[in-house]
Amino acid sequence: MSLLDEGYRSPAGQSRNRPHGNLVFLRVLVVVLFGVLGLRLVYMQILNGADYARRSRENHIVEQNILPPRGLIADRNGVPLVANKPVYSASITPELLPDDSAVRFKIYQKLEDLLGVPAVEIQVKVKDAEKANQAGLEIKLKEPLTEQEALTLDEATTDMPGVKLNVTPGREYLGGDAFAHILGYIGAQRQETRAKYAKAGYDLNEPVGITGLESIYEQDLRGQPGFDASEQDAAGHLISSLKTQAPVSGNSLQLAIDKGLQDYVYELLSGSLDDATWHAKTAAAVVMSPKTGEVYAIVSVPGYDPAITADPANHQAEYQALANDHVRDPFLNHALAPAAPGSTFKLVTASAALETGNITPSTSVDIPSAVLEIKGENGVIYPLVDWRAQGPGINIYKGIAYSSNIFFYMASCGLLGYGRPGLSSDFGTGAVILGNWARKYGFGSATGIDLDGEFDGLIPDPAWKKRTHTGPGFRPEDADWYYSDTCFMGIGQGDVTATPIQVARMTAAVANGGKLLTPHVANAVVAPDGHVVRTIQTQSKDVGVSAEHLAEIREGMHQSVDLALGAGHNAFRSNVDIAGKTGTAEFTDPKTGKTLQHAWFTGFAPFNDPEVVVTVYYDLGIGGEKAAPIASKIFDYFMKNVKH
Amino acid sequence: MSTLSYGRQRSVFRGWDRFDYALFLPALALVVVGLLLIYSGSSRSYVGPVASFSNPVAKQVVFASAGIAAMLLVSKLDYHYLTHYAWVLYALGLVSLVVILVFGHSAFGSTRWFNVGPVQVQPSEFAKLATILALARFFSEHGGDARDLRALLLSLAIVAPTAGLVFVEPDLGTSVVIASIWVGVVIVAGVNRGHLLVMGALFVAAMPFLWTFFIADYQVTRVAILVDPEKDPLGDSYNVIQAKIAIGSGQLLGTGLTNGQQTQRGYLKVPTKDFIFSVLGEELGFVGAMGLFTLFGILLFRGIRAAQIAGDTAGQLVAVGIVVLILMQTFINVAVNVSLFPVTGIPLPFVSQGGSSMVTLFIGLGILQSIVMRHRAYRQI
Repeated sequence: MSLLDEGYRSPAGQSRNRPHGNLVFLRVLVVVLFGVLGLRLVYMQILNGADYARRSRENHIVEQNILPPRGLIADRNGVPLVANKPVYSASITPELLPDDSAVRFKIYQKLEDLLGVPAVEIQVKVKDAEKANQAGLEIKLKEPLTEQEALTLDEATTDMPGVKLNVTPGREYLGGDAFAHILGYIGAQRQETRAKYAKAGYDLNEPVGITGLESIYEQDLRGQPGFDASEQDAAGHLISSLKTQAPVSGNSLQLAIDKGLQDYVYELLSGSLDDATWHAKTAAAVVMSPKTGEVYAIVSVPGYDPAITADPANHQAEYQALANDHVRDPFLNHALAPAAPGSTFKLVTASAALETGNITPSTSVDIPSAVLEIKGENGVIYPLVDWRAQGPGINIYKGIAYSSNIFFYMASCGLLGYGRPGLSSDFGTGAVILGNWARKYGFGSATGIDLDGEFDGLIPDPAWKKRTHTGPGFRPEDADWYYSDTCFMGIGQGDVTATPIQVARMTAAVANGGKLLTPHVANAVVAPDGHVVRTIQTQSKDVGVSAEHLAEIREGMHQSVDLALGAGHNAFRSNVDIAGKTGTAEFTDPKTGKTLQHAWFTGFAPFNDPEVVVTVYYDLGIGGEKAAPIASKIFDYFMKNVKH
Repeated sequence: MSTLSYGRQRSVFRGWDRFDYALFLPALALVVVGLLLIYSGSSRSYVGPVASFSNPVAKQVVFASAGIAAMLLVSKLDYHYLTHYAWVLYALGLVSLVVILVFGHSAFGSTRWFNVGPVQVQPSEFAKLATILALARFFSEHGGDARDLRALLLSLAIVAPTAGLVFVEPDLGTSVVIASIWVGVVIVAGVNRGHLLVMGALFVAAMPFLWTFFIADYQVTRVAILVDPEKDPLGDSYNVIQAKIAIGSGQLLGTGLTNGQQTQRGYLKVPTKDFIFSVLGEELGFVGAMGLFTLFGILLFRGIRAAQIAGDTAGQLVAVGIVVLILMQTFINVAVNVSLFPVTGIPLPFVSQGGSSMVTLFIGLGILQSIVMRHRAYRQI
């Protein structure tokens, strides 16, 4: 016990029993717990370390895109059609504003002075954003600012934390209304296309081509964005600039379009919608080369001010008015929209009939009366109507020149009971044969022109009719193909529809000896340094009509303009040798039930060596009277001002 | 026996030859590692002169010195003084916790310290030691047999007030540490396994109620973050994600001291305190972390050795309590850093910046030394 004295002896009398605890569990626990941590570190540092290291880099290295200047667009002579101009906007970031509400309101008031945006409105926007927990996001206050506003705001922002002047690339469309459909416009990315553009490396706020050439040639025009990589700390302060790569300007587009011609045709069509007899609502024209497929002018009337689509925020009323105009559909490119082609389609029927041999240059028929009664299937009497008594000895040339309906009924469905077979003894098969020739001329499918909003048009046949005319709302007999269906198809009516660009392209094929060309609006993509990156070439396909037959058709078209009785004689000019075909397509006005007509004229010149095709369309009018004289003026302008 | 001569020696140096350097030196090394990491972690926020008391490194040196001095004093003190006054110390601990609940609450939702002049004192640090002493005292006395259910429940009654008061501070991590100390001590004190299992089962069964009625919203959030940290990367889980990125990006060898991008660019919050391990993980890598674990391993095994050779039950249980205290604080702190445990404010022992923890831990080491230095006296009876 003596040794115990040397230690401290508790007066409370703690027991000093020998310790008996088993400490193994404690040793095991130490090993296990550190083992767990060690394994976790193996997982994080050894197995996934590289991934975390990448995330660490991403954490502090911030890349910002520098948007490249967008490529320009010029006409075939280099006349600029667009210009780049910065769009200034003012924005405010609630998070960066001073905390003191009085100081804040002073900023709002200053903004009201500078921009005319009410201070109270700004206050409400900021409060809403803070409530929605979006204080870190920029709120756009006004766009666009005038240059003067941008300048004063830029100077003032130094005293206004949280307020920013933003500059985004914008476009000015110098071409005006006449070019609205061709050029299209750029704008903010749409919700549905964001993912696509993000994949292609676009910034979310990077404007993209929405319609027209701006959209079709987006990849060429955009250029290569540069970037600015910099190091930031957690608070977002810039520490150092790491790497900067300058953006590469977008490539420019050189068009086949001649601005002078485009403007001329636009004015011509706009000014001729209304005349004493017809009050056309829309019109379209295509001027193209039958040799290269270049489109010199493509006009849709009415046009619209491109500023309305390029800057919709400040043109809301105008935009709505245009979008709601369902009579004229100003946003629709009518040169690419379908309508019954009427007698212009007789060129197809002529080709089919000549190629199948049921008509030869020596075939002729007397048409003494404007009405020919035919006993059709089941004894039904069809009064086949021509637009006038064409007289005796109507052959392929006069048939085309006078645009004789009865001649082309004969060529397509045949004249039953007169010993004049059509394309086939069975009129259903005849329709299929005619349809196939129409498709060879490019009808029934889009031409592939480098513009958006193009329609296919329609070439009907018995199978199509059966497919589409059954079901609710149709009587069983509606699905049947009748003799008259083939007849009307032969003169471009009934269910046949075609677009002006398709009609122009067919005309070009007739003019150039049977090559079906893909029309193109752009000619070349040109790099900023001036070298041509690529040229846009036409695609050529043989329509399969022999040279003699095409020559016979061309002769008919020539006579149409040359002969005093020719349907297209109003296009005649002493200074240009024009060949052409009129079209007056009847249709029933769905509102009034009255029978109205579309006016067409399609032709080429000079007759001996065709250089240009002109197709003119009005939604109301008679081809020879309304469209032909206008086309004639366009030929005249082209020969004087565009032809080299 | 040659050791007999020690018994007759009566001087201040008596027993120092038995001072366990293998217990002290790892702690000192941890302090040095801590100083390096604090230097690196504060280089962004602290721009003043090196030799200044506002420099966190210099401050930490002062705290460590004070801690070491306290350790030496306590080593010299027979730990039976401490177990003798265990109830008094325990009562003081509880009172200080109540006081901080009443007076500390006004400032923040979770204030855990008093300001005593320039020094912040965390009573929970002191209360942990007091609770260990009280537990040891209880089980070393007659009737304190852990095999007896009544005694076991009484011991739980000793721990519960401390753990509860800390929990409502709220400081979930420290409550877990205190609960772990209790479990560790009763196991060594020879608890009936059946009792422990039944109590564990009861606790698990009570979890849903505790979760509903006692767990604060922010704690639920912290647990949720652990499950899915990427859900709200800029909000609540910011720290968790940034700590993971820091540690992971350190890979095998680390980026080198003061070269960690996460640390130096300010992506890590509290990089000298609760998240100091992330600095180590990023800048010293896996190798550095293993080095740190080795130091803790030596320290803890020497602590267990102290429990092994302790002269009596009280000494053994105190040693066990202190070992569990250091072990669990280390484990929870690192586990928080590597996203294995919800975020809770537990410093890394000897390494994290902070005075109260440093001094308390060195006092704990002092107690362990006291136990080691006095073991023979009782073995020789």
